[in-house]
Amino acid sequence: MLANYLIVGAILFVLGAVGFLTRRNMIVMFLSAEMMLQGVSLNLVAFSNVWSNWHGQIFTIYILTIAAAEAAIALALVVKLYHRRGSLDVSLWQDLREPDQPAIDDDAEPAASVPAPPAWPTLTPAGVEPRHTDEEIEEATHV
Amino acid sequence: MSDSMLVQNVWLIPALPLAAAAITAALGPKVLRERSHWPCVIAAVGAALFSILLLAVVATAEPVADAKSAGGEVSGTKVVYDWISVGAGAGKFTAPIEFRVDPLTSLMLVMVTFVGSLIVVYSTGYMHGDRGYWRFFAAVSLFLFSMTGLVLASNFLLIYVFWELVGLCSYLLIGFWYERPSAAAASKKAFLVNRIGDFGFALGVFMVWVVFGTLDFDAVFDKATVRFGGMSVAAPEITLICLLLFCGAIGKSAQFPLHVWLPDAMEGPTPVSALIHAATMVTAGVYMVARFTPLFLLSPLATMTVSTIGCFTALLAALIALTQTDLKRILAYSTVSQLGFMFMGLGCGARGAVVAGIFHVFTHAFFKALLFLGAGSVMHAMGGVIDVRRIGGLRRRMPITCWTFACGAAALAGFPFLSGFWSKDAILASLAHATHEGTYAVVYRAILSLAMLTAGLTAFYTFRAFFKVFWGEERIPDEAGHHAHESPATMTYPLIVLAIFSLGIGAILALGFDGLTEFLGGAPGLAGAHEVHSVPVMITSGAVAIVGIAVAWLMYGQPSTLPESLAQKFRSAYELSFDKFRFDEIYSRFIVKPLLAVAEASRLADIWIVDGLVRLVSALPAFIGRIALRPIQNGLVQFYALTMVCCLVVLLVLLIGLPWLGM
Repeated sequence: MLANYLIVGAILFVLGAVGFLTRRNMIVMFLSAEMMLQGVSLNLVAFSNVWSNWHGQIFTIYILTIAAAEAAIALALVVKLYHRRGSLDVSLWQDLREPDQPAIDDDAEPAASVPAPPAWPTLTPAGVEPRHTDEEIEEATHV
Repeated sequence: MSDSMLVQNVWLIPALPLAAAAITAALGPKVLRERSHWPCVIAAVGAALFSILLLAVVATAEPVADAKSAGGEVSGTKVVYDWISVGAGAGKFTAPIEFRVDPLTSLMLVMVTFVGSLIVVYSTGYMHGDRGYWRFFAAVSLFLFSMTGLVLASNFLLIYVFWELVGLCSYLLIGFWYERPSAAAASKKAFLVNRIGDFGFALGVFMVWVVFGTLDFDAVFDKATVRFGGMSVAAPEITLICLLLFCGAIGKSAQFPLHVWLPDAMEGPTPVSALIHAATMVTAGVYMVARFTPLFLLSPLATMTVSTIGCFTALLAALIALTQTDLKRILAYSTVSQLGFMFMGLGCGARGAVVAGIFHVFTHAFFKALLFLGAGSVMHAMGGVIDVRRIGGLRRRMPITCWTFACGAAALAGFPFLSGFWSKDAILASLAHATHEGTYAVVYRAILSLAMLTAGLTAFYTFRAFFKVFWGEERIPDEAGHHAHESPATMTYPLIVLAIFSLGIGAILALGFDGLTEFLGGAPGLAGAHEVHSVPVMITSGAVAIVGIAVAWLMYGQPSTLPESLAQKFRSAYELSFDKFRFDEIYSRFIVKPLLAVAEASRLADIWIVDGLVRLVSALPAFIGRIALRPIQNGLVQFYALTMVCCLVVLLVLLIGLPWLGM
């Protein structure tokens, strides 16, 4: 029985983690983080049930409370950030990188490959006698 | 003896020059200026008066009839300051600043301070108008302090400290005109060459501590006599101690193979040359060997070595002096030669011979100071030119300098009945005495004959210089200008005083040589010394000296082509002597150059290997930061989260995955 709870918790956690890492919308990232919290909470509740005590449940209540408070702060921050740039894209905020590092722009088009100039066949310039080998000279004198 | 008021206040003798040095150094450049000589003059004269009083006290003191010191020693000590005191019991190490007074000390003190004060008075005239006037007198005062302290020291550590101080002062004074590269090089050479000898001296002091467990002179002498006194064959450790201590004397007293610094020391001002050569520095080595007589007498091998080195040096320096053309250099080599004579005497292995050596130190101080100050007077008048080929016939222009110089030269040459004659004769007689007995009688026989030869050479080269400078037709170099006249009174009066002493003091001491022997018998290890007389030796040495002077007169006292023809005939020998047997070149090739190569290699190793390692260590963090850590600090929130996840995965693998796989 415990294993089922843990599997569901783990799936929730991993889904949240993957969402956090891959989505660039700040609100969706925030939701993903909440989902990871729920995965952990589910683990705690399951263990609380197994051991027949309240410890896990108490932890969960704490987590919910703190998550609520954190949601308020996080959403306020998101609103302020949106006001600044007019977008929820997290990759717009890279200002805390090392001063000499270039900004990473995932949306940039890859540099278009410039086609090389067509290779036209070239001819030997006219009016110049090609160099003869010794054998050709030999043969010419004997004809 | 110890409770005498003078002995209790004996610290004043070194303290006066020290105070003068401090005052001159502090106030000289701003306040005293051209009056900078006063502290030094007052201190030197005060110390000299004090020393003469002390000599009188020591001479009249009753010998302590002591069971330990067989002959009745006269000595007193005064602890000034409890300097070092470490440990307790048998391994207790104490080195108080303690001054001891005994006949040897008081005699040396009189010599150092008396000759020293005459030189200081002379310097006020000679150094007048020099830019470093105050610096000169500060250094000279420090020199007198070091030398009196050296003579008064009562333990091995203290004598070593003053020994080094003397070396430092010689460095300061030889390099006094430091703008001249030759003077700077000469002072450096003197310091470094002395350092070689001092290293041996330091090892000797360590050996004394290891063998005897104390550094106090009296305690060491007592223990040495008790432990090694009755041995028929000298203990190797005593021989080793003596030879190591003698290393120091070789350096300071410029004996072969460390004699090379002394002639170069002529780069300093002439009074400094007089001070170094006559009164202070070079006699330190002789004094030290005489002071440690109780140790040296226990090892015939060590005394024989002392004598042999002295003899070789004396002959070598005399041969070099034959052809030199710089008047001060001739005198410098004569000093080296005479120091060789002193060591020959000290190395005879008899107490009376040690007395003879000290006797020669004493007389030599007067006539050598006289000769140097005379040379300085000539130099002063000739505008700094001292080359005997360019000057001549000065006897009419500088009569006082000429005749006082003649007194000094005659005394140095050993002209009968002058001071050098008596003291040199005492040494030769001791050598003659040493040829009769002991293991090394054969060696002493060779030394005696070489010493006689050297005495003749001494007479010859001394008067060669004298005749070239003061005799013949008058030659005055252009540099002299209007200076070519007799020197001022501050310079001539010391010359006259020294001349009187050069003439008379030997005779006084010689007629009372028994008295001198008896007097010095109060010093440790010299008790029971008996004087050595030898009429044949006396006649021979007198004859040798007169022959030497006569040959010099024949070759240089009158117009003669003999010197040139001889130089042509023995070309290679002449050049060898003229080039000082090429010691400087040999040392340069075999010691200085390899050492410089090692130094250069060390410098490169330091720059490239040591510094390279340090720079590598410091460059490594910056390098890692640049290539690995700066790029990951890219400001992307999701990149940081990815890093965290990756690390978490690694952690989980380590904590769970590996144990699960059974690794």
